[in-house]
Amino acid sequence: MDPVVSVAGLRKSYGDRERLHGISFEVHAGEILGFLGTNGAGKTTTIEILEGYRPYNGGTVSVLGVDPAHATRSWRQRIGLVLQECELDPVYTVRETVTLFARYFRRPTDVAATLEAVGLSAKADDRVGQLSGGQKRRLDVAVGLVGDPEILFLDEPTTGLDPLARREMWTMIEGLRAAGKTIFLTTHYMDEAQHLADRIIILRAGEIAAAGTADELSATLGYRATVSFDAFADLDVDQLGAALGRALRVSESAVHFASPSVQADVAALLDWARDHDVQLANFQVIQPSLDDVFVHLAGDEARGAGEVDR
Amino acid sequence: MSDVSLALAQTRYALRGFLRDPSALIFTAFFPILLLLLFNAIFTGVTDFNGTHVRAPAYYTASIIAYEIMLVSFSSLLVRVTTNRERGLLKRFRGTPMPSWVYLFSEIARTLVVVAATVAVLVAVGALFYHVTLSARLLAGLVVYLVVGVFCFSALALALTRLCRTADAASAIGPLAATILAFLSGVFIPVAVMPAWMLDLGKVFPLEHLARGLQAAFLLPGSTGITGVDLAVMLAWGAAALIGAVELFGWEPLGAGAGRAHR
Repeated sequence: MDPVVSVAGLRKSYGDRERLHGISFEVHAGEILGFLGTNGAGKTTTIEILEGYRPYNGGTVSVLGVDPAHATRSWRQRIGLVLQECELDPVYTVRETVTLFARYFRRPTDVAATLEAVGLSAKADDRVGQLSGGQKRRLDVAVGLVGDPEILFLDEPTTGLDPLARREMWTMIEGLRAAGKTIFLTTHYMDEAQHLADRIIILRAGEIAAAGTADELSATLGYRATVSFDAFADLDVDQLGAALGRALRVSESAVHFASPSVQADVAALLDWARDHDVQLANFQVIQPSLDDVFVHLAGDEARGAGEVDR
Repeated sequence: MSDVSLALAQTRYALRGFLRDPSALIFTAFFPILLLLLFNAIFTGVTDFNGTHVRAPAYYTASIIAYEIMLVSFSSLLVRVTTNRERGLLKRFRGTPMPSWVYLFSEIARTLVVVAATVAVLVAVGALFYHVTLSARLLAGLVVYLVVGVFCFSALALALTRLCRTADAASAIGPLAATILAFLSGVFIPVAVMPAWMLDLGKVFPLEHLARGLQAAFLLPGSTGITGVDLAVMLAWGAAALIGAVELFGWEPLGAGAGRAHR
């Protein structure tokens, strides 16, 4: 089956500054692709090219077999958009708003069912202006879904929402995944991508820094568990390091080392402690999180930011 | 749903929004009636028009109708479209299968309905209290000027949305332009007491021709008030503005903060 979205060598410049340096990726039917990056990485530029809002300077782009630079009405029948920073008219009710957008599509979904799917049935007759931030964002999703699109573009759906509203949005998106929707999701929250996306692409300064499932990203980027414990009296770091075959670091009063094979390293450490009659205080094994991966990559970007005006 | 019924549905939706927006109702429906009452409380008696003595209240009824057509079709439409663009609503519409013309049609149709309704009230007030004598010729002239006026000023508003980068700018320029043109065009002050140079300057702009045409229809017995020159000037402005609107109209926010959409 052909991919829903296929991008190869995509380049985009604003003026004489290139913002996307030839990125390539695909989105397959029924998956949620998480497109992750900090502000300025090029997420919105990419999604707006895919949505047909922006021309691009190089490479090939295909969404549902059509180049979005030549968007047609029949192509727009098949895609759903949830844009950033787009308000809806506050004087209309939730139901009126979704009904209006449903009229634009040849085969819209049932308005009541769409409101149910985004959890706004109880608010159907409230004015848009009276909704909370999270409810407005879910109404945005309803407007994006009502045409029954083959792919839904979700541009930073939870930015600016409080933690509870974020959780509600996640639950709603999980419902869409269960219904088999193909979704292109941009976010700058790693936990969001990890929670919702089948695959993750990390964009950094207009290039793809990493791509894969959450587990693959943790593994291929060489992130390892850290074993740590408090320094104790008479500690000889070099001797212990040699005994374990690991490079130990001491910061403040704690000792750490990176452990590629946690079970063997912990067993060796505990054996050594028993043999030397040492009590290990604050002994812990810290698993790397994808946040660490992201902060590491974003940190590279932040360091690079000094060189160019961003 | 066919495109035509879609356009009508979009127009109904726009009109429903108008009725729910208190500031639009006050600005476009009550404000002109208030102006008419005020001017007629200040200026009473007769004034000169085309060399004949006419009643000032009838003069002001025609003038305020011309002003109202510009206020709704130009000032109010300019602010409305610019606000909806700034909100991102136009960008959102652009991302749906709705044809662009459906949106533009609905805005102009909404304007035409609002103008027709508010002008009907002004005509009724004029007929009841201000010595306006209704006739078939007067009504024919009124309908022609109303339609041509709405076309001309709506096209100007849509073209000017490109120059107004923000809704704030539109809120300043829209009413300001209407007020200045109203003074230049003998709307607020009778032509009999206006300096000639100011009237000559006013003739360059469409409001002068709309006001003069309506005044003739309302004040000269047995006249439709329609002249080729008045219609030609308004149609020329409208046609030029329409070309500008087609070339320049933008769907995405332009103003402060819009750059964030480019990240």
